[in-house]
Amino acid sequence: MIFRRRYGCLRRQTGVVLFLSCLYAVSISGDAQAAEWYAAQRTPELVAVLLCTIIVLVSIIVARRKRFYIRPLPGLQAIDDALGRATEMGSPVMYISGWGGDLARPTTMASLAILAHIARRAAAFGTPILFPSHDPVVASAAQDTIQHGYAAVGRPGLFRSDDVGFVTQSQLGYAAAVDGIMTRRKPGAVFLLGSFEGEALILAETAHNVGAVQISGTDSTIQLSFFLVACDYTLIGEELFAASGYLSGDPLILGAVRGQDLLKIIIVIVLVIGLVLHLCGISIIIEWLG
Amino acid sequence: MLRKIPIAVCAVCGVFMAAQYFIISGPVSDLYGAVLDWMQIIFVCALLAGILQVVMSQLKNIARPGSGRVYSSIALAGIAVMVVLGFGWGISRGSPFLWMFDQVQAPMQTTVFSLLAFFVASAAYRGFRARHAESVVLVLAALIILLGRVPLGEMISPLVPQTVGWILDVPAMAAKRAILIGIGLGMTATAIKVIAGMERTYLGGR
Amino acid sequence: MNIDRRIIFVIVALAVAIPLVVPLDLPVAVTDETRAVYDRLEMLDSGSVVLVSFDHEASSLPEVRPLAEAIVNHCFMRKARVIGLALFAEGTAVGYDILNDIAAQQGKVYGHDYVYLGYRPQYTAAILGMGESIREVFPTDYDETPWEEIPLLQGVHNYDDIDLVISVADGSLPTYWVEYAQARYGQEVIAVLTAVMVTAYTPYVDAGQISGILGGLKGAAEYEKLIDRPAAGKRGMDAQALTHLAIAVMIVVGNVIAFGARRKKKTAVAGEHAV
Repeated sequence: MIFRRRYGCLRRQTGVVLFLSCLYAVSISGDAQAAEWYAAQRTPELVAVLLCTIIVLVSIIVARRKRFYIRPLPGLQAIDDALGRATEMGSPVMYISGWGGDLARPTTMASLAILAHIARRAAAFGTPILFPSHDPVVASAAQDTIQHGYAAVGRPGLFRSDDVGFVTQSQLGYAAAVDGIMTRRKPGAVFLLGSFEGEALILAETAHNVGAVQISGTDSTIQLSFFLVACDYTLIGEELFAASGYLSGDPLILGAVRGQDLLKIIIVIVLVIGLVLHLCGISIIIEWLG
Repeated sequence: MLRKIPIAVCAVCGVFMAAQYFIISGPVSDLYGAVLDWMQIIFVCALLAGILQVVMSQLKNIARPGSGRVYSSIALAGIAVMVVLGFGWGISRGSPFLWMFDQVQAPMQTTVFSLLAFFVASAAYRGFRARHAESVVLVLAALIILLGRVPLGEMISPLVPQTVGWILDVPAMAAKRAILIGIGLGMTATAIKVIAGMERTYLGGR
Repeated sequence: MNIDRRIIFVIVALAVAIPLVVPLDLPVAVTDETRAVYDRLEMLDSGSVVLVSFDHEASSLPEVRPLAEAIVNHCFMRKARVIGLALFAEGTAVGYDILNDIAAQQGKVYGHDYVYLGYRPQYTAAILGMGESIREVFPTDYDETPWEEIPLLQGVHNYDDIDLVISVADGSLPTYWVEYAQARYGQEVIAVLTAVMVTAYTPYVDAGQISGILGGLKGAAEYEKLIDRPAAGKRGMDAQALTHLAIAVMIVVGNVIAFGARRKKKTAVAGEHAV
């Protein structure tokens, strides 16, 4: 609808530019009345929030009518192979969402969205899923997700609640407990997808030691380095957030991924313009954003 | 209906928490303070639920025949001992609770953490193989940084720590920032979807 | 061809253990990052209020403790008043010990020169809450002494009364200090980290969101040199140096072996084709 009539599009663009200009004027004018209730110095953040929200929501709306393309992600293409391998070996699979985040963290939510897909696929294969968690709320959400996955393919009886649960909140206690489960149960595949900290390499190496295929992905740039070295497949950066859309084909998620890409393009354009202006001695963008 | 209530609560709270960052009036600040207090209360309730879950799970293991009984008994005994010590003799300096923490828990955790040193070595030996051009660059960078971050690098040549500084400040920083921007956008999009009610994984199932 | 992992583990164990028994006494050169943190603390006036948050677990104690001791020592040497707290449960006991130990060495008085507030769960809420009122988040100290009975805390309401926050962390807590305390309230933050976390926070230093980073056992050794109090950081550097060298040698050996094996395979394949 927005892009159907060029004239309507231009009017809206003009309106957006005028709105942003007003916000910029308010932020630098030190207007006394606006300062009473509005934190004018946070205007750049407000512009960013509104821009992100508009672009993501519009992309999601457009995605309902037009299917967006996502490039193949090797780690995700290997999921079925990993599950099949575990099934042939008669082993369970293990899913670890990491110690680094609770349910409020978007990374953990993205991880649970992937878990929903893996739960359905594992249920179809008849393979048990082990999900030790460091957070009772995450454990509860995961239990529901896995249970629902098994029910969705008509195999609710395969679900075992003992395999999913809270272990401990202590980081290394969690790592020790998960390593113990891995060593005893010898999963055929280990999915390390979520928010990790220092326990990442301990888990990845133990998974390698028990002969499991490891598919990993995290939002931590530090643990990403360890995963890249230690794991068979690694999702880098926002591939973790795109994964659930890739697996499910859900237009909502694909639209959001498209929105992220558009925002990245905007960021790059702003960076380049800012750099060029700065090199010419004009620091307006740097000062406004700073 | 039952699923719509948490989605609505999430939407209202999400919009409020975003808006309060820009609005600095008294009533909004007071409400924000109340939200922060309730976050702490909810966390403690979740912790209690978690402890209950751990105790129930360990009790189930004890009821089941097998070698897991011994370890589950030790785990439950550990929980009970620390609770009794904490409530009975306090947690101040010199208390039995702190003694148990310093002499038992801290060394156990440090021991598990020390596994990282060995695992880093084995992962590095396994993973840093110069198979093609990019991996050659990776191996060389790894060797320079390994030596440059300890006094040995300075002893070999002052260029080594300088090169390490350049590697960390320029190419590594550029890559890290790019990944951080991508992750940040992913988190933003997920948060927008949660507030808009499109992302419901926190409810479990679909 | 791969070496058995156990051989690698033995090599690492020897590389760590030998220098602890036979010290190598390797010289430590101070880096710009460490000096920046030192210079910042040197700017503290007598009576400045520094909040030291022990945001770490017991597992990273060997690396974090020398860092924490060095930085707290320096705060006391500058006659700053130190408020200690913990946003990780396990950091509570550790921070309590460190603060009391260093204070005892320096002859500091509890309640006047330093205070320990203890632990609060939900670090996001705690950091944001302290921006409004520290007393609301910590109405008593760790020993349950009421706020009004602690002289140091009188006149300290929120971040406006805190000159510097030092987050001693082994995880991502400094990110939350930056995102909430620094971004929202303009609070100055210094991060004291394990070595593996340093690269993650360098962008924040470049952006001016963190005033300085002190990282790893090397950072501790450098800081001990600057404040002229050699301790565990200096002792640990020898072991770390030899271990790094051992890993570097193993990487080179692994590549040589792999290269030789690939060459042998190519020769064998070429020979088969020739036949």
